[in-house]
Amino acid sequence: MELWYTHLLREKLDQDSLLVQGNRASALGALDAGVRFFAGYPITPSSEIMETMARELPKVGGVFLQMEDEIASICACIGGSLTGEISMTATSGPGFSLMQEAIGYAIMAEAPLVIVNVMRVGPSTGRPTAPSQGDVMQARWGTHGDHPAIVLAASNVVDMYRLTMAAVRFAQRFRTPVTLLADEVVGHMRESFSAEKAGRYRLSSGDFDFTENYSRPDLVREVHPPHQLGAFRHPHVTGLVHDETGFPTNDPQKSAEFLRELHDKVAHHRDELCLYDVKNEGRGRVCIVAYGSCARSARAAMDLAQHEGIPVEVLHLYTLFPLPVEILQRVARRVEFMLIPELNLGQYAREVRKMAEQWTTVISMGKIDGTLITPRELVDRVSDLVGKYENV
Amino acid sequence: MTSALDRFLHTDRLPHIWCAGCGAGMVTGAFLRAAAKLDLHKDTTAIIGGIGCSSRAAGYLDFGTVHAIHGRALAFATGIKMARPDFTVIVFTGDGDGAAIGGNHLIHACRRNIDITCILFNNSIYGMTGGQASPMSQEDDVSVTAPYGQAERSFDLCRLTEAAGATYVARGTAYAGRELERLIRDGVRHKGFSFIEAVSQCPTEYGKRNPPKGAIAMLEDQRDRSVSAKEAAGMTPEELEGKLITGLIYKDESAPEFQESYQRMVERVQQDFDGTS
Repeated sequence: MELWYTHLLREKLDQDSLLVQGNRASALGALDAGVRFFAGYPITPSSEIMETMARELPKVGGVFLQMEDEIASICACIGGSLTGEISMTATSGPGFSLMQEAIGYAIMAEAPLVIVNVMRVGPSTGRPTAPSQGDVMQARWGTHGDHPAIVLAASNVVDMYRLTMAAVRFAQRFRTPVTLLADEVVGHMRESFSAEKAGRYRLSSGDFDFTENYSRPDLVREVHPPHQLGAFRHPHVTGLVHDETGFPTNDPQKSAEFLRELHDKVAHHRDELCLYDVKNEGRGRVCIVAYGSCARSARAAMDLAQHEGIPVEVLHLYTLFPLPVEILQRVARRVEFMLIPELNLGQYAREVRKMAEQWTTVISMGKIDGTLITPRELVDRVSDLVGKYENV
Repeated sequence: MTSALDRFLHTDRLPHIWCAGCGAGMVTGAFLRAAAKLDLHKDTTAIIGGIGCSSRAAGYLDFGTVHAIHGRALAFATGIKMARPDFTVIVFTGDGDGAAIGGNHLIHACRRNIDITCILFNNSIYGMTGGQASPMSQEDDVSVTAPYGQAERSFDLCRLTEAAGATYVARGTAYAGRELERLIRDGVRHKGFSFIEAVSQCPTEYGKRNPPKGAIAMLEDQRDRSVSAKEAAGMTPEELEGKLITGLIYKDESAPEFQESYQRMVERVQQDFDGTS
């Protein structure tokens, strides 16, 4: 398939790589993955995604809508999705909060949808241009009721491109909304971006192939028959608990089965959904478990620590939910400490602790001052842990 | 008993949930007769309801139907219309769904003049949740959340939507079913945003606390208060106090429709884009 960014590169510049901003890379990934419907509302630090879509979608005959608020944005996307369009919106914390009710609707109605949340410091208006990872649990549990969630996290510009594509694939294949989280710094940073770099995606969890039937993949078997307007004659779509006909039911057994199946379609496919990379596997007493900008710091800290004679393992998570239980437990069994740096007060560390505390000590390293966690800070914390252990 | 309109109904979903004497079925009936006259195609007609008694109508109709979330039917409908311009898109909403929680979407749908027909069932009360005041409750109306009488003023939704940019604005009543049917038919035919306020009655939650009592008396009250737009033009504000101005209130066939404007923009961009690559 012809990738959009390569087209752009050919058009604009006669060179192999280009300096691209994270938010823009997300928009390009969306276009390459077949997103042809975008509705949004401006909000810092995500607006460049919307601006890029406004510029590019008309060129390919897609629909771009600037709606009156974030609620209308996601609802318009659901409308587009119900007709079979691959739909996406992008926002930040305050807008993400406004979207929560509709996210639940998309889960219930099994309407595929991609939501990119470029996180800023909260709560409330917070610090719109400072990086944060404060929306991790909102992405998991923001909408009401028991529900599954697929949540990805980008750590650099190339990730923004590739994980937006992955989000499209997962949304279509599982027929559910998928959230891609980026911290502000990932959305706004500019990095060298090339076809070569973006096309390859080799992770410990497996290779990722973007080329084969990418945006219209087969559905997983647990998905209910799609009720698409205009295709499935005249379906009924509702946010009420319903059965496979699409019509509401109050039958206790049927409604429990339906809700259970929504969970199962995600839970049964953790192997496919959980993207991660392990570095220095089995070579340290400490494993840094990180995602987003913190994962970059962790990778740099690994090299720095190595230089200082302390082997450290790094588990870089690209999928936060469903929880990558298997890899977390495998790592937990072999290390003495799991160190979890986050730009929040330990939201994900609490999740990891539930999985891992019977085998290892899980240590949360949270930062909420709107600055990044540096490799030096991580190495100091690791030496501290290793030193303490040696003194016991 | 079957009728010619059964072909538009999921008869297996009946009986409906509405109370005896409710106007929702009468408004839905007017819609069904209009649908038959228009010969709406089931595969390319999308009906979107929000949340509330009136919005439930969508679930009984055998078209492509969406029972959306509270207040957001018009936002869903905007997405559907933009993705499928060939669809006839109709929104069923109520005075709570459309004028309170969904008020912002209503004015913006009017502003865009997108080709959607919005039928707002106005029964002046939140029926499904048990009789709370709505933005369409009149001053001094009694409800469970205004037990001493409503202190707020209500909207004039037809003036609101006209000012916001709707290009077809009409008001009908459950009482005058034939007129309502005509207004809906013409609204669906109109290219642009059509707003039809269907004044309806809720004898259960509104009628039990406010005069007149009972569905028949409430319907007669709709009749007695109705003044045609033509008559109203010659009446003073004092004479119009408490009246319902009914019929076609405003129509503009020259304003650009949003989806078509968007499509023209896309064609222009694609021409330029193809020219340079």
